[in-house]
Amino acid sequence: MGGHQVVPDANGHLKENNYLNCDKSIKSWLLTLDHKRIAILYLVSILSFFFVGGISALIMRSHLAMPQAQVISPDLYNALFTLHGVLMIFLFIVPGIPATMGNFLLPLMIGAKDVAFPRLNLFSYYIYVVGALIGFVAIINPVWLIDYLQGMAQGVWNPLDTGWTFYTPYSTSTGAGEGWGVILMTFAAFVLGFSSILTGLNFIVTIHKLRAPGMNWMRLPVLVWGLYATSVIQTLATPVVGITLILLIVERVLGIGIFDPAKGGDPVLYQHFFWFYSHPVVYIMVLPAFGVVGEIIPVMSRKPIFGYKAVVFASIGIAAVAFIVWAHHMFTSGMSAFSAAIFSALTFGVAVPTAVKVFNWVSTMYKGSIRFDSAMLYAMAFVFLFMIAGTTGVYLAVLGVDIYYHDTYFVVAHFHYTIQGGAVIGLIAALHFWFPKMFGKFYNEGWAKFSFWLLFFGFNLTFLPQFVLGMEGMPRRYYDYLPEFSSMHQLSTVGAFFNGLGYTLALLNLTTSAIWGKRLAPSNPYNSLGLEWQCPSPPPHDNFITPPVVTSGSYDYGYPIEERSKA
Amino acid sequence: MFRFLPEQASTIAPEVDFLNNLITDLSVFFTVAIVGSMLYFAWKYRRRNGVDHPTPRIEGSHTLEIIWTAVPTAVCIFLGWAGIVVYNDMKHVPENAMTINVTGWKWAWEFQYQNGKKSGGQGAELVVPVNQPIKLVMTSRDVLHSFFIPAMRVKQDVVPGKYSYVSFTPVKTGLYDVYCTEYCGTRHSYMLAKVRVVSAEEFEAWISHDPTEGLAPSDLGKQLYTSLGCNACHSLADGVRLVGPSFYKSFGREGKLSDGSNYSADENYIRESILNPNIKLVDGYAANLMPSFDGRLDESQLNALIAFIKAQDGSAPPAPAVNISLGDEEEDLSKLSPKERGEKLYSAKACIGCHTLDGSNLVGPTFKGSYGSKRELQDGSSVTVDDAYITESILQPMTKVAKGFAPAMPPYEGQLSESEVKDLIEFIKTVK
Repeated sequence: MGGHQVVPDANGHLKENNYLNCDKSIKSWLLTLDHKRIAILYLVSILSFFFVGGISALIMRSHLAMPQAQVISPDLYNALFTLHGVLMIFLFIVPGIPATMGNFLLPLMIGAKDVAFPRLNLFSYYIYVVGALIGFVAIINPVWLIDYLQGMAQGVWNPLDTGWTFYTPYSTSTGAGEGWGVILMTFAAFVLGFSSILTGLNFIVTIHKLRAPGMNWMRLPVLVWGLYATSVIQTLATPVVGITLILLIVERVLGIGIFDPAKGGDPVLYQHFFWFYSHPVVYIMVLPAFGVVGEIIPVMSRKPIFGYKAVVFASIGIAAVAFIVWAHHMFTSGMSAFSAAIFSALTFGVAVPTAVKVFNWVSTMYKGSIRFDSAMLYAMAFVFLFMIAGTTGVYLAVLGVDIYYHDTYFVVAHFHYTIQGGAVIGLIAALHFWFPKMFGKFYNEGWAKFSFWLLFFGFNLTFLPQFVLGMEGMPRRYYDYLPEFSSMHQLSTVGAFFNGLGYTLALLNLTTSAIWGKRLAPSNPYNSLGLEWQCPSPPPHDNFITPPVVTSGSYDYGYPIEERSKA
Repeated sequence: MFRFLPEQASTIAPEVDFLNNLITDLSVFFTVAIVGSMLYFAWKYRRRNGVDHPTPRIEGSHTLEIIWTAVPTAVCIFLGWAGIVVYNDMKHVPENAMTINVTGWKWAWEFQYQNGKKSGGQGAELVVPVNQPIKLVMTSRDVLHSFFIPAMRVKQDVVPGKYSYVSFTPVKTGLYDVYCTEYCGTRHSYMLAKVRVVSAEEFEAWISHDPTEGLAPSDLGKQLYTSLGCNACHSLADGVRLVGPSFYKSFGREGKLSDGSNYSADENYIRESILNPNIKLVDGYAANLMPSFDGRLDESQLNALIAFIKAQDGSAPPAPAVNISLGDEEEDLSKLSPKERGEKLYSAKACIGCHTLDGSNLVGPTFKGSYGSKRELQDGSSVTVDDAYITESILQPMTKVAKGFAPAMPPYEGQLSESEVKDLIEFIKTVK
């Protein structure tokens, strides 16, 4: 495909022979080795799962609009929050930004033609697809499924109802798949994790080996640093899922007590394994979103990112500390007071670098020339929502207070502020910001802003009342609740529908603009110094027409400080 | 601002709330300050008329970085330290604490006091005297649960196979909610209980009403032998083997285990066999039939059971093969309704050991709502639970075993008269 004529117009828009239309066959999409097309494949997949996960959330919220409601059965409710958690975490937001925006942007941002191992990149995608299928089978109950396929389905359908945390011994004893459900689900997590490992390794090698001449480490965009930190976590944490899987199978097949107390095992051990993987995963979700915000704010403010080195080292610091704080999910599990104190103290090791990042983002706007495209609104919303996520995280890190909030709606609200307010808003911000580059078109800015406000309002209306519920003592994963919690639940339900509508409109706007949009985008609509904006929009298959040479930093906006007197 | 915590009913509550409210105030302050500066910058430095104005190249400031690393660090160290202090106070058990055993299972709590008094089941009340430090020693029979009393500000996971504890000192009389806060299945949200805090006098009056008080250990053991359902499988008669070995002269018995080694039935052996029945099986008995009683018994109950087994030393006349009386012998059973007789049989014949009335499944399926329901069997077929099926399941339990349950029930053929079976069915019908 390198043989195609690549002739952008004067604005840098590439109408013919860009990566989207250089080969139009279905096969060329499904077997593509182009990092940009693989990013699009991932994007379509994860947004489908986001949609299904969102619908399951809305069904739950509808049920919770009234106490003693019988909208759905308790078992269906339990299955829905399991489905919601599994889809949103393992299939949507873990691959989230790295597999979509990371795949698309990483080679562009460092001036490379592609990632280091394009075939491995495609292989990762298909491993992800296989993992997603296994996960689906696990959720809908393999034993029931086999019966059904043999025409023997009978009795009540019994889907996986363990919650996305799969705590033993409930998960190994529940009717769902008679204990095999959780093994299959762990296998799915392992397969999905393997996809993450391969993507992670691919990114690490790409960043080390394929940087354009002059793109030294301290000139790397902060998003690349975020992706780098994420890749390291993915590569190191995922093998733990494999160990857990083998232990579950050993217990199941050989009857050796590992997690099951009836066999002499320790259920709390399972929690350690689970969180040793799943805590770092939180940073897999959110570190790339930090990177996205760190890209948008400098461009939209025309200022260098404030304290570049501090921002970078904060990312690396968070990635390092991510591995040693897992037990803060387990303060009520009966661990010793000494370990609880240690894990509480370590947890604050995440709080400080996160605070540093926030200070730096806000300071970047100081004396800027700030434009308010919808991407910037999302970035600013991110800062606000992440402040709430971060400060409510403090309650949960403080040992004596966490005991009260553990497993209440406070925790539900807190992690939705971090994961939805952080990672998902980060992804949506990124999609808006880089949309002109990805599709060579502009989306409808009016609709984008309208859906932003709807989404922002709906999100806060959904989850702020849940903080109140948590403070009042409402436990999570409750099918029913006492009447005194009604009003907050109702606010939350109303908010959820606004939130869902906001996402739907935002993504519809992007989708329709990508397909039918008329306004063509130039190569660099924001006048950004980032390398990814220096190639045509949409980029050709091989990205840059001539291999780039980097001579300045990614954020050298504004006049040099020595020339202040000229202002 | 933002004060939503429930009323304070324990000594630790004000400490937790103080720290909680301090975090709230600090959070509001920092959020307003930071988001406020962001909004201020956004307004003050907004681009006007779509044209960029010149901006300075400010790349950072070491001073500022040091300040905004040091300030959050200091705040964090203080809050972390305070959190540990509060937590230690919370976990500290005063020497005069009253110990109460708590058992959780799907989906109810049971509270047992040191004099043996118990209250349990869904909506059970934990009655405690005001101003008296309480220590709950907790375990679970099945899966993880968590014991949460918002008004006391305490919470602790309840783990099968081990004990965990929670301690609090109630300071206000009243009725407080207890929630299960570790997801445990279908009826997790209904696994509720109450804490009733009463005056010391009221507590004395309540606690002294106890049927097991003053019992000799072997008499308490005799009650447990029936109420826990040991009698379903272990006879007290010489040479009568039901599912498990007879207790007759079993203390001190010696013989071979299934692995070929020798055993001697001393206190430790019996204790181990109750808590972990499958570790040392007497030769000739099958594994995995007896459920583990680990977590279901406290030490005094274990001692009582061992004392009871010891007492079966042949000094009393050997019991008949089925040694189950309907309790008070003087009581004229014919005066009772069939349902009431069935209810008595339910405990006397030890159905209670394996079949609950509250909807939870132990060794066998629960009786709650069973009559008239459809049941899947192990061979894949299904039946309606009617008189014929129940009769067959009592007399010949192995013929139609419900799906998901082990074939563990002993046959009652010859142990129950036809009218007794009918009484039991009448009772089962009423459990809805």
